Amino acid sequence: MRTSRITRLGLGGVLAGVLALTACAPTGSGGGTGSSGAGDGDAPEVSTELGDEPVELVLYDGAGLKTIDDALIAAFQDEFPNVTITTRFDPDNVQAQNAPRVLSSEDPPDLARINSLGSTAHNGLLTNLDPWAEAYGWTDLPSGQLAMYTVDEDGVRGTGSQFSLASGFVTTGLYVNTDLMAQLGIDAPPTTVAEWEEQLATAKAAGVTGIMAGNATGGGLTTLQFLLNGHVGADAINQWVYNAPDATIATPEGDEAVATLDEWIRAGYFNDDANGTDAAGALARFASGDGLFFASGNWDASGIAGQMDDVTFAAPPALTEGQFLAMSDPVSNFGIPAKAKAENKNAAAAFLNFLLSDEARQILVDNGFAPSGEGAAPTTEPGSLNEAVQASFVALVEADGQVQFIQNATPGITQTQNQEIQNLFGGKSSPTDVLPAIQKAYEEELGR
Amino acid sequence: MTTTELNAAASGRALTARGRGGRRSASERGRLSGWLFLLPALVFYGLFVLWPLFATVQYSFFDWDGYTTATPVGLGNYVRVLTDPQLISSVGHSFFLMIFFTIIPVVLGLVIAALIQEIRLKGLATTARTLLFLPQIIPGAAAAIAWVWMLSSTGAVNQLLSGIGLGGLTRAWLGDFTWALPAVGLIGLWLNLGFCTILLMAGIGKIDLAIYEAAKLDGAGFFQTFRSVTLPGLRQEIGVCVTMTMIAALASFDVVYMSTRGGPGTSTMVPGVQIFQLAFTESRVGLASALAIVLTVLIVVVIVPLQRLFQEK
Repeated sequence: MRTSRITRLGLGGVLAGVLALTACAPTGSGGGTGSSGAGDGDAPEVSTELGDEPVELVLYDGAGLKTIDDALIAAFQDEFPNVTITTRFDPDNVQAQNAPRVLSSEDPPDLARINSLGSTAHNGLLTNLDPWAEAYGWTDLPSGQLAMYTVDEDGVRGTGSQFSLASGFVTTGLYVNTDLMAQLGIDAPPTTVAEWEEQLATAKAAGVTGIMAGNATGGGLTTLQFLLNGHVGADAINQWVYNAPDATIATPEGDEAVATLDEWIRAGYFNDDANGTDAAGALARFASGDGLFFASGNWDASGIAGQMDDVTFAAPPALTEGQFLAMSDPVSNFGIPAKAKAENKNAAAAFLNFLLSDEARQILVDNGFAPSGEGAAPTTEPGSLNEAVQASFVALVEADGQVQFIQNATPGITQTQNQEIQNLFGGKSSPTDVLPAIQKAYEEELGR
Repeated sequence: MTTTELNAAASGRALTARGRGGRRSASERGRLSGWLFLLPALVFYGLFVLWPLFATVQYSFFDWDGYTTATPVGLGNYVRVLTDPQLISSVGHSFFLMIFFTIIPVVLGLVIAALIQEIRLKGLATTARTLLFLPQIIPGAAAAIAWVWMLSSTGAVNQLLSGIGLGGLTRAWLGDFTWALPAVGLIGLWLNLGFCTILLMAGIGKIDLAIYEAAKLDGAGFFQTFRSVTLPGLRQEIGVCVTMTMIAALASFDVVYMSTRGGPGTSTMVPGVQIFQLAFTESRVGLASALAIVLTVLIVVVIVPLQRLFQEK
């Protein structure tokens, strides 16, 4: 074969370029695996006493949680006057993307919301909290909650050392338009999937939208996971989200859940423009009276309560009687960056411990979220939507039925999940395609 | 030789003469101060354009999440970009968007510019020009949000369709697998039409009025004048319009990201949004960089021949 001199020169140049480029790898500061532990270098001893030397902490969170964080900080500073906490916020979606870079920077905050706990702890970006867990007695927290804070040496969540503690929890369920319910002759919100399906058929027959979904932003996934939880079980889903070895979501049981959802879509139980409606649009339409059900979480409670009176909140209908499962995970899963100033870590841990106090729990509930830890249920206004949400959460914790959101399995998994759920709603894929496609993206992202 | 060419040739000669006549040290000093004037711009160009470009090329040979140690993968990322059907289809969507970003705005812009030129009422012409240019001053992201409302199932577009008896056609345009991409294109059309029209109008203003007068005296009508005078006179402006709007289509991000994020499914996914999601949502900086480099090369490959085509003979 005859190659011209120019081609050869060109190829040589490209190859030389590639070699030169690969010779110097982009610098990463995370580096090692596992945790760097609490006692690195000149770190002071782990203590629950803060003394009275002034301490200045920086807390990093998503901007949407500013109200709650500010209230928590004010209450904490009342109790520990020598500690001052300043805040640093990024917009919520930016915070999730920025967190790893902020944690690995040379000037990290002392407390930070951790979005992908498994990979973050595994990359050595977090302080191992075991010594403080021992000192403060966090080890006695409900196992369902502890599982959300722990990571083992392989980066698998659910077991191992503790790396975080939640400010509170979000919880999910069905908002029900009680006015429409009465018009349709339905006595109570559904408690089982079978009842739910009957009520959806009743609504459809009367020309009422069954479930209002904003699937342009993947809102259909909430209903899908309500069904998945029942078919697959909390344990299997949590293991999957925690990236346990060989965990898979693509199972025959999972496919049954998708098949049910597909039947409901084809039967017209959702708004027919679900793929062209986003989360905010769906919320607005449900609040204006369009739709019998709205599958979502407590974060929409204040918005809905402000716009409609005839509404209640119900736990996700169970597949089998007695089952009680709902997606519920930390509002802010706070951790202490490994590179945070060693002398500040005792104070940062004291703030984490404060999150479990009655005072902090009441602040969370007042802001429409569910409280961290356990103890007497904080007070809510009788007859309010918030009361219904809190009642549902208390029952959920009692049943130990907190299930992780499938959207949190890997940082990038929502991309594929949204695409697949939109394909399903648009009739572009078969129900048996959905979970294998999600599983494929999951394995690829985890490098399996 | 035209007057312009004559002028250029004359001034060229003058420059050479001056250069030869000047003392060597003076010319060197001139060259040095030239570079000094250029220095601030060069520093910024190097820092914010050349260095990121180099870094992107470098990242593209690694598997890197953005913060831990990177592993070299050679050309692996490029192989993936060139074989993954989803990534390839996103490039296809960009080319489809050219119909709305380039072809329609340029053709329509020519017609509108020629028509406005014909309008004798000065006020009307100015109003038309302002209205057409207005979308150009609105950021693409903001325009996309406004269009999302208009294209929603209860939005202005569907209200209009129902109003004129076409209620059967209404749908959630951006949520429809068939119509979402053309709907996104429509937003681009609205944004780019004003740009093309104004640029082409400026070009028409540059054409010697005597030529129009001569054409008129020869008895040429609107279309004949358009074909024989306006169109040839606008060669360069059309070139700029086509170049800018084609780059806008190939590198589109804001409009798509704010309106559909590539959905439903992947029906409106374009490389710009794909790169963003790979890099910042999925933390696959290497693969995102490789796609970005491929996109850059693609744009150059498409644009350079066009530049040749539109260069004045």
